[in-house]
Amino acid sequence: MDQPRSSDEATVEIPESKSGRSKAATIAATTKAARYASGGGGWKRGVGIFDFILRLCAIVAALAATTTMGTTNQTLPFFTQFFQFQANYDDLPAFTFFVIANAIASGYLVLSLPFSIVGIVRPHAVGIRLLLLILDTVMVAVTTAAASAAAAIVYLAHNGNSNTNWLAICQQFNDFCQRVSGAVVASFIAALIFMFLVVLSAVALRR
Amino acid sequence: MKSGPLEPGGPSRVPPRIHKGNKGVSIMDLVLRAVAIVATLASAVAMGTTNETLPFFNQFIQFRARYNDLPTFTFFVIVNSIVCFYLVLSLPMSIFHIVRSRATFTRVILIFLDSVMLALLTLGASAAAAIVYLAHKGNASANWLAICQQFNNFCQRISGSLIGSFGGILVFIVLILLSAIALCRRP
Repeated sequence: MDQPRSSDEATVEIPESKSGRSKAATIAATTKAARYASGGGGWKRGVGIFDFILRLCAIVAALAATTTMGTTNQTLPFFTQFFQFQANYDDLPAFTFFVIANAIASGYLVLSLPFSIVGIVRPHAVGIRLLLLILDTVMVAVTTAAASAAAAIVYLAHNGNSNTNWLAICQQFNDFCQRVSGAVVASFIAALIFMFLVVLSAVALRR
Repeated sequence: MKSGPLEPGGPSRVPPRIHKGNKGVSIMDLVLRAVAIVATLASAVAMGTTNETLPFFNQFIQFRARYNDLPTFTFFVIVNSIVCFYLVLSLPMSIFHIVRSRATFTRVILIFLDSVMLALLTLGASAAAAIVYLAHKGNASANWLAICQQFNNFCQRISGSLIGSFGGILVFIVLILLSAIALCRRP
C-alpha cells in the first residue's frame, strides 16, 4: 500500500517540488543578487563621486597651466643687434608643445565629466569605467611628457650648461622664468591627479 | 507515471571561456614585460656609454661629450635603470597572475605601480627628448647653439636611445590596459 501511494506521491511531488525548487532557487538567486548589487553599489558610488571631484580639480590645474604658459610675454627695456630681448612661449618649441598638450588634457577632462556622472549614477557600469581608465592612462603619459619637457627647458634656463655653452637666460628674464616654472608645477599636479584617477577606476572595476 | 531512476545531476558547467581569456591576458602581460625590460635596458646602456671626443680643442668650449655633461641625460639613465629594475621585480607577480587568474587585489596594486612607473619613464624620456631636440636645432631666441653639428656620433646615440624609452612607454600603457581588462573579466 505504501508503494503505490509513495509512487503516486512521488510522481505528483516531483513536478511540484521541481518547480518549487527552481522557484526557490530563483528567489534565492535574486535576493542574493539584489543584496550583492545594493551592497556593492554603496562604496562604488562614493568612488564615483570622488572621481568626479578629482576631475574638477584636474580641470583647474590643467587650465591654469595652459593659460599661465600661454600668456607669458616679457620684453626687456633694452636691445642690441645680437640678442632678441622678448621672451614668449612661442620661442621654445617645448613650451608650445606644453600649451598644446595641456589644452588637450583640459578639453578631454571637460568631455569626460558626463561619463564620470554616468559612473556615479550607475555604479556597476563596467564599460564606462574601462574606457575612462584607458583614456586617463594615455592622458597621464601626455601630461607628464609635456610637463617634463618644459621642466627640462626651465632647468636649463635657470642653470645654463657650461659644457655646451648654453647661457642661463633666467638671469635676465626673471618674470618669464617665474611664470613658466609655475605653469610646470600646475601641470605636474594635473598629471598626479590623473594617476589617482587611474587607480580609482581600477579599484572601482573590481567586483 | 514512470518513476524511473532520476538522472544523476552532474556539476553545473560554468563556461570555461572566461578562465582562458584571463590566462591569455596574463601571458601577454608577461611577454610585454619582457619586451619592456629589453627596451629600457637598451636605452639606459645606449645613453650611458656615450663618449665622443673631437680631435681639436679650444679654450672656450669643451670638445668632449658624455651623458654626464647634461644633468637631464643623467636623470634619463637613472630613470631607465629604475624602471628596468622594477620590471624585473614585477615578473614574479605577473607569473603569479597567470597561475591564479582570480587575484584582483594584487592586480590593482600592479596597476598602481605600473602607472607610477609610466609617469616616471615619461618624465625621463620627454625631458631627454626636449634636450635632444635643442641639441639638434639650437634656439635662436635664447642664443643656444646646436651642438649636434659638431658631435655627430653623440647626437645619433642619444637620439637612438630615446626610441627604446618611448617604446617602453607604449608597452606600459598596454600593460595597464591588460590589467584593467583582466580585472573586469572576473572568472
